[in-house]
Amino acid sequence: MPEARTTAAFRKSPIVRVALHDAGICAVVLAAFAAILLAAGKHPLKAYADTFRYTLANAYGFSELIVRMTPLVLTAVSVALPSRLGLINVGGEGQLYMGAWMASAGALLAPDLPTWILLPLVAVLGFMGGGVWAAIPGLLRAGKLVSETISTLLLNYVAPLIVSYFIFGPWRAPGSSAYPQSPVFPEAALLPSFFNTRIHAGFIISLAALLVYWLIVEKTRWGIDMRAIGGNAEAAQRLGIPVAKWIVVALAVGGGFAGLAGMGEVMGIHGRLRQGLSPGYGFTGFLVSWLAGGRPLGILFMAFLFAIITSTGDTLQITQGLPYSVVHILLAMILFIVLAGRPVRAGAI
Amino acid sequence: MTTPLALGVLGGAILSGTSLLYATLGETIVERSGIVNLGLEGILLIGASVGFSTAAATGNAWFGVMAAAMAGGLANVLFGWLVVTRRANQLASGLAMMFFGFGISALVGAPYVGAVIVGLPKWRPSWLGGLPWVQSTTLFDYDALTWLAVPVAILVWWALFWTRWGLAVRAVGERPGAVFASGRNPSVLQYQALSSGGLLGGLAGAHLSLSLTKTWAEYMTAGRGFIAIALVIFSKWHPLRAIAGALLFGGAEALQLQLQARGSAVSPFLLDMTPYLLTLLVLLAWGGSRRLVAPASLGRTFYGSDG
Amino acid sequence: MTRTLGFIIGFFVLVFWLTAKPAFADSPRLIIGVIYVGSFNDYGYNKSFHDALAQVAKDLPGVTVIEAENVAESSDAERVMEGMIQQGAKLIFPTSFGHKDFARKVAKRHRDVFFEHPGDGDTESNFGVFFGSTQTAWYPMGVAAGKMTKSNKLGFVIGMPIGYALGNVNAFELGAKSVNPKAQTVVVVTGGWSDKAKEAGAANALLDQGCDVVAMHVDSPATIIQTVEARGGMSIGFQSLEARALAPTGWVTGLGFTWTPFFMDVAKSVIAGRFQGQAVYQGLGQMVAIAPFGPAVPAEVQKLVTNAANRVMKGFTPFTGPLTDNTGSLALPPGATINNAQMGNFDWYVDGVIGKVR
Repeated sequence: MPEARTTAAFRKSPIVRVALHDAGICAVVLAAFAAILLAAGKHPLKAYADTFRYTLANAYGFSELIVRMTPLVLTAVSVALPSRLGLINVGGEGQLYMGAWMASAGALLAPDLPTWILLPLVAVLGFMGGGVWAAIPGLLRAGKLVSETISTLLLNYVAPLIVSYFIFGPWRAPGSSAYPQSPVFPEAALLPSFFNTRIHAGFIISLAALLVYWLIVEKTRWGIDMRAIGGNAEAAQRLGIPVAKWIVVALAVGGGFAGLAGMGEVMGIHGRLRQGLSPGYGFTGFLVSWLAGGRPLGILFMAFLFAIITSTGDTLQITQGLPYSVVHILLAMILFIVLAGRPVRAGAI
Repeated sequence: MTTPLALGVLGGAILSGTSLLYATLGETIVERSGIVNLGLEGILLIGASVGFSTAAATGNAWFGVMAAAMAGGLANVLFGWLVVTRRANQLASGLAMMFFGFGISALVGAPYVGAVIVGLPKWRPSWLGGLPWVQSTTLFDYDALTWLAVPVAILVWWALFWTRWGLAVRAVGERPGAVFASGRNPSVLQYQALSSGGLLGGLAGAHLSLSLTKTWAEYMTAGRGFIAIALVIFSKWHPLRAIAGALLFGGAEALQLQLQARGSAVSPFLLDMTPYLLTLLVLLAWGGSRRLVAPASLGRTFYGSDG
Repeated sequence: MTRTLGFIIGFFVLVFWLTAKPAFADSPRLIIGVIYVGSFNDYGYNKSFHDALAQVAKDLPGVTVIEAENVAESSDAERVMEGMIQQGAKLIFPTSFGHKDFARKVAKRHRDVFFEHPGDGDTESNFGVFFGSTQTAWYPMGVAAGKMTKSNKLGFVIGMPIGYALGNVNAFELGAKSVNPKAQTVVVVTGGWSDKAKEAGAANALLDQGCDVVAMHVDSPATIIQTVEARGGMSIGFQSLEARALAPTGWVTGLGFTWTPFFMDVAKSVIAGRFQGQAVYQGLGQMVAIAPFGPAVPAEVQKLVTNAANRVMKGFTPFTGPLTDNTGSLALPPGATINNAQMGNFDWYVDGVIGKVR
């Protein structure tokens, strides 16, 4: 890292460059979206003022940003970790649901355990649920049978069906025939919340996950091994690194993080297992990770940005009468700008 | 008269499989040229919404079909600009196209949700209609898109494997360097593959909104785009095998509903899983030889020289 | 690079200019907030709310309605409702069953904002529940179907096996059996309230398996009715009285919601400051209405149906024990009844229904 003795050197240092680059994207996006709002007959300044007022300048709105961010950080890590090996995990949705399912199983089957056992148990189960669900594609890929992109994608559709089966069947709360869901989980299993908002301990878990991810990748021998595999799998194999085992482990651990996201949603927000747990956190997490280049701080920043964007969509729908699909267009536009503008290195995929 | 289960499932498979087949064929062409379009779901939605809106606005379903095909082709060309001209990461670009498709289709379709259209006319040859076991079913009573589905598959097969253009397209997917060295422009070939693939994708969406359901609803494709991507692999990038794949998946979906209509005691959620699990199982079975049949340069960006 | 950027931005601006529509609001006497799980142009459930509230806004001066579509039955709903409250909404309609818990949480935080939820559960000072009890209204529909069917097999497509839907199916079958003891109802579950492709497949499957009259409980009846009509079957509509336009030949009759009078009362009570959180369940004749008959329905069948409807409006309920479920056990003991507030609790199918509850 070059010593920042002069301002010129400081400006060139990696951190500043990256921050400026990200800020540059934000500025462009803000300007472009303003142009779009104008074209739609809306008042861009009022729209931004409304968004600022109801999301950033507002305690409840800001707390909601944190709530939205929590699962996103986790699913982003679930993509970033396997990507170090060149693996593509688009199965965050399914892994999230299976994490929620397994955590619910723990809460429902062992309701009498005290908090200090039940809460960690539920977290571990959440991790395992997502982990196992991702290990399956991992095994298939390690055995060179099916590309993990496809298998993780397909399993995304199976997991919510498993959850539906259970809440309409064996785990259906009696008397809730009108709206099937599991019974409410015991207090002991629920994640505590803060400041009288919906921010829950899952946020701490997501920050911890980010830290763990950074440690693994930057500070451990494993991180070096992973980068070797990601660079050239064959060479790494010849060096004695057990590539197949790494593939399974990386996907499983990644899936575990997504499973924690699911656990957080049911134990921190809903308090029971129900349908519709994720409005696409898995896919948005993929984009967060990709836009952040897999960097931990970048993930935090991008997750926050995405939380603001999706929040904007809701606000604009109510204040300006714009349909929610505005958010999708906005996301697409940001991606187009980033994708079309990125300097590419030869050989990159 | 109650239709035997097999015929009911076959009938449902053909109806449901039509859009799957078109989507798979379109993606096959594109992947044969070395590009993966994960945003196929978005292309289908664009086709469905543009097709439906045009049909509702003009009162003519055929205009809808044409508009859908053009919209799909244009959308794929936009995708091509990202991945061919700007050399962007194909997977992320695909997801961007998916979001784009979600948003655009919702906006285009919004004024027409709930509109009633006439839809594509159906036709059944009279000699078939006279057969007793056919009469009360949906068999052989199809719109033009369904009738043409298999012929189009054969056409795509012929184009890819029996014409010089097809050879060049496939070569771009295997060794773009060789194509470049031989004097042809890989980018142009990829754009051609993308526009024809997008056209087929648009038709797939059009069939959903103009014939099968005769309506438009946001996200109505319900994951068909992703299934088609899996079906491309399932059919080993071969248009004729795609017919079997589309029938299989369409059949799995129809089986679930037909079993319920017969009073079978299986949970609809478990039955709903079967198409996806089936696809996985089949991919597993094909798995060993997969590496030998995928286009060698699939997913890689070409920089004007080898590697 | 700047050119590319400009190109992309220009493209999106163009796209938006061509597709988006403007909308604005002014400062009114009462702002009503409505959230829908899907689109309110669904020709069905959501549209019934949208139309009724639009009527209220038209008839009562100073009332505006702000709406949000595609609000999932998840924590998103809380955010959207909070947003509406910050916009000044004083009366909120969370229109889907699954919005309930989230609406209740918001209601606890804002005791000066009033909620009306179509569903069940406890009421609070600022939280009322209501629903059009369609279940008993399905009885005359069953009577119509039982008389019109020639194959004695009736089809019923439902989105999800929730209590209200099961109740509808049960009343339908009981009505059909009352005029045609051989009538059976086959149920197909699509797994979602608005999966159009599955609805088409379900309708086809029911017709394939011998049903000639098809009814439904999904968000919008359009796809099913059109599919059935194209194959020459008969349909009984739900959620929207206008759906009969879709089946000029095969339409029998149907049910629709008429929320306007109730919504009018609620809006007036909020403006006058005397809102009371109550549980209001009204059936046929108040929140639920029967659609006109189709051309194929003979006069004597119309009379039977109208008689059955009148009996229901006078208080008759088909849900009087003893009733056996379709696995052979006694579901309702002799003399017991199920009243409007309990319609969400069904978890069984009556004898004669072919289908599995879970």
